[in-house]
Amino acid sequence: MLDLTMLYFVMVLIAGIASGYALRRRKKLDFSKVAFGIIMVLIFSLGFSMGSNGELLSSLPRVGLEAFVIMLLAVAFSVVLVKAAGKLVKLG
Amino acid sequence: MIKYILLALLLGSVAGYLNSNWATVIDGKWVSNYAFNASLLLLLFVMGVQLGMDREAAAKMRRTGLRILVVPFAVASGSIFGGLLAGFVLGKSVVGAMAVSAGYGWYTLAGPLVGQLLGGQWGAIGFVANFLRELLTVITLPLTRKAGKNVPVAFGGATTMDTTLPVIVRYCGPEALITAFSSGFVLSVLAPFSIMALATLG
Repeated sequence: MLDLTMLYFVMVLIAGIASGYALRRRKKLDFSKVAFGIIMVLIFSLGFSMGSNGELLSSLPRVGLEAFVIMLLAVAFSVVLVKAAGKLVKLG
Repeated sequence: MIKYILLALLLGSVAGYLNSNWATVIDGKWVSNYAFNASLLLLLFVMGVQLGMDREAAAKMRRTGLRILVVPFAVASGSIFGGLLAGFVLGKSVVGAMAVSAGYGWYTLAGPLVGQLLGGQWGAIGFVANFLRELLTVITLPLTRKAGKNVPVAFGGATTMDTTLPVIVRYCGPEALITAFSSGFVLSVLAPFSIMALATLG
């Protein structure tokens, strides 16, 4: 996804924030139902790409355990360092 | 919320599996690319509006400022160090394990790229390890959210700018949007370079 799509994401996000800022004086809008619906579509299509990825499904049983150990340690130390760095620079 | 997320994930996987292995109803690209990107763009806009309207969140973010950028670099160093340790624990190539963990959860990049640089076996591990990272980020959110503000973002790595972003914001509130997005963005840019750099050590 290291391409134009990333740029679109940033632009759409900025456009959203700007619109929200402009709408500030208005009564608070509630998007939670809309957002919920879109999240479901998003998660469904995420599952869809996992399920249709034959290469992924066939390598799961073969390398699953090793991959799991690597992933778990990577995640664990990410959390440790993020917490430590957060204290260091006083991230609220 | 997590019930619905897991259900949608499961239904999606089954549908994707049946569609590509049993009877192709639609071109998978329509769901994996177009539906995915369209809903993500729409959601980014909606989440942006909510953030823009939220006075408290804006004030909080102004106080944090650029210090927020320590998060992705901490995730990158933590992931690579975890990979190093995993290499020792498993008695396998330390370089391979580090390159795999430098995918930061972006499995569609890490799988092919590590495979190309270090061979098919490592490619498969890179694929699965990063896929598991994404999956774990989504299914553990109700727990990780309680463990600290930036913990879900640390879990998600590069995925927090797209696939796991909506779920994180849903659970952690609008002010998590910028932390998650910027961290995921920086890590997505870093991932290909750090994989390549680590692979050349081997």
